[in-house]
Amino acid sequence: MQSNPGLHKFVSRLPSALEGHREIILANLVMIGEIPAPTFHEQARIDFLQQRFTESGLHNVGSDEVGNAAAVLPGTEGHRNILVSAHADTPFSAATEHTLSLYPERVIGPGIADNSLGLSMIATLPMLLEFLDIRLRSNLILMGASRSLGRGDLAGLRFFLANSSVPITAGLSIEGVQLGRLDYASQASVDAEITCRTGGGEGGQSSAVLVLNHVIQRLCELVRTQDLVLGSIEGGTAFKTPARSAALRIELQQDSNEKLSALITDIDAIVEDVAAHSGAQVRFEVIARSNAGGLDPQHPLVEQARSILTSLGVEPIQGCYSTAASCFNDQGIPGLVIGVTKGHHLNQPDEEIEIEPVFRGIAQLIGVLMAIDGGCCD
Amino acid sequence: MTDIDSWLRSNTFHHSQFWDLKRLVEEKEKQGLILSLCIPTLNEEKTIGKELVLFKSELVDRYPLLDEIAVIDSGSTDRTLEVAAAFGADVYRSTDILPDMGSRRGKGENLWKAIYQLRGDIIVYVDADIKNIHPRFAYGLIAPLIYRPEIKYVKAFYDRPLATSKGTRPLGGGRVTEILVRPLFSLFFPELTALVQPLSGEYAVRRELLERLPFPIGYGVETSHLIDTYSEWGLEAIAQTDLDSRVHRNQPTRDLGKMAFGILHAFFTRLHKHDILSSLPELTSMLRQFQTRDNEYQQVLFEIREEERRPMIEVPAYREKRGIVD
Repeated sequence: MQSNPGLHKFVSRLPSALEGHREIILANLVMIGEIPAPTFHEQARIDFLQQRFTESGLHNVGSDEVGNAAAVLPGTEGHRNILVSAHADTPFSAATEHTLSLYPERVIGPGIADNSLGLSMIATLPMLLEFLDIRLRSNLILMGASRSLGRGDLAGLRFFLANSSVPITAGLSIEGVQLGRLDYASQASVDAEITCRTGGGEGGQSSAVLVLNHVIQRLCELVRTQDLVLGSIEGGTAFKTPARSAALRIELQQDSNEKLSALITDIDAIVEDVAAHSGAQVRFEVIARSNAGGLDPQHPLVEQARSILTSLGVEPIQGCYSTAASCFNDQGIPGLVIGVTKGHHLNQPDEEIEIEPVFRGIAQLIGVLMAIDGGCCD
Repeated sequence: MTDIDSWLRSNTFHHSQFWDLKRLVEEKEKQGLILSLCIPTLNEEKTIGKELVLFKSELVDRYPLLDEIAVIDSGSTDRTLEVAAAFGADVYRSTDILPDMGSRRGKGENLWKAIYQLRGDIIVYVDADIKNIHPRFAYGLIAPLIYRPEIKYVKAFYDRPLATSKGTRPLGGGRVTEILVRPLFSLFFPELTALVQPLSGEYAVRRELLERLPFPIGYGVETSHLIDTYSEWGLEAIAQTDLDSRVHRNQPTRDLGKMAFGILHAFFTRLHKHDILSSLPELTSMLRQFQTRDNEYQQVLFEIREEERRPMIEVPAYREKRGIVD
């Protein structure tokens, strides 16, 4: 399986073989997807994942102090250790109705793409490898990562990589969507929150929403559109009462850590200036931060993954950045973030994934694992 | 009369008691049993796919407990049949089974025809509108029949007794159960009040019993099953399993009225059959409800005296005061 033509030929046949195991794949997806898992409250999903690990006969099943679940599928030789991880949390609260709807061609429900599908791959992969009679020479470490989104700041994956008791040859992070992504690098980025508190119209103070509006105008003048995501905004309580508080959540990206630090300094200055002129309390807080870096586009892992996608008839998606890739890079581990299928309405209650591409997504995952197992990251 | 508290201890289960599916499958195979799952449907396209995938994956592929998964449809006009077939169920139109017997409209019709169509020594019926479907909805009901030969009929109920370790909580069914069925049972079949949710649509039954039960085709099917099973085989033949929570669509009050009407119809038919109407016994004043305490199920007896005053005009003092003379 070490030569590319052989690997590609083998991988191209996998989707049809995997379709025969559709119920196993979808059942794990449904059972995981219906367990609420807001960031910092992933325990129920982690428990389910550990139960699946145990049922699959994996070794070293357990969880760590930050709430990750991990287990090992021993390789026939065990000279390498390949990590496959997926974040367990979703952006939806536990109070959200997590009932999924399953149709022949798609699955609908909150968090189904981000990242119930990715986590279900971690639960299902051992059984699929067994069904397909694929035995890796390398040890396969499967990990459900806690505390990834927002304030979680990828804490689960970072902790695991920093504290792994075995050297990790390469790492894959699985996201539900989109099939074709090959994220091998990370821009320098921060998730940040700008909060504002005012007297709510008393004592001549402005509405907190108006103050935030000033901040937004200044941000847009300072930062290029492609480097700033105005993610969410909330504030106030009623139509006729000026808002006493408001909050803006943003993401900032730069191509180097130095540029990002300089940008943060500039934003601090803007916030201080707006606070001084408005009399409001305005605060800028960095919630999560990732460093720039990653693999070269010509790295063998990237090239192998790209050619595997092509052999499956999937066009690799342009764009290479993911914050998870920075976690691998920070530890000097070759790492990729890949997607499993096509999805729509991401992070909306009617989040949706397509079922048919899932089989190619899993074939891709297995193909990349076999490439690493064949030594492409040595 | 069977001691209800004793029955609650011996014949009331929690699905977690049956977590060892490997052992359950071994026991099933040792007994040579064939198990069928029947899902009656009518326009259930949103939930049927999920149910089938979970049951097939967990209870056919992973643990071969079920030998047959069948959908029996009452004439859906949405994609129910297409979705069910796509996920590997044996799909039947109710009208195509025993066509010479004609066709009636109602869930009971599907359940009845399933006895003819399916192969199982045990048939487990699971409604198709369960949003939080889980394999326990089948194995939690089947397991008591496999482990306890004397049990013939296992009914589901839904609670979360493991969520609290101390204290007392009321336990009960839906609106129709609490304001119609339980008071009726308290009056006429007190032992059946031990069934926490007599109207739940999930139950597993041995063929030897099913084939001897008459089937109201509408809302009265669950009530009549319990009365008939109890009358013929006693409370010892019945068990119930707590399946934790069940999320399903709420029914509007108007539909509950239809349900109550159907239940009353089945109920009075049985009162007539058992000659209870013509020789009405003295009505008890005890209403039986249920609660959990420290993970045990207990009955709670309420004495409700519904004495009747005669018409005021018959009261001498009233007649005297009002100057009424004969």
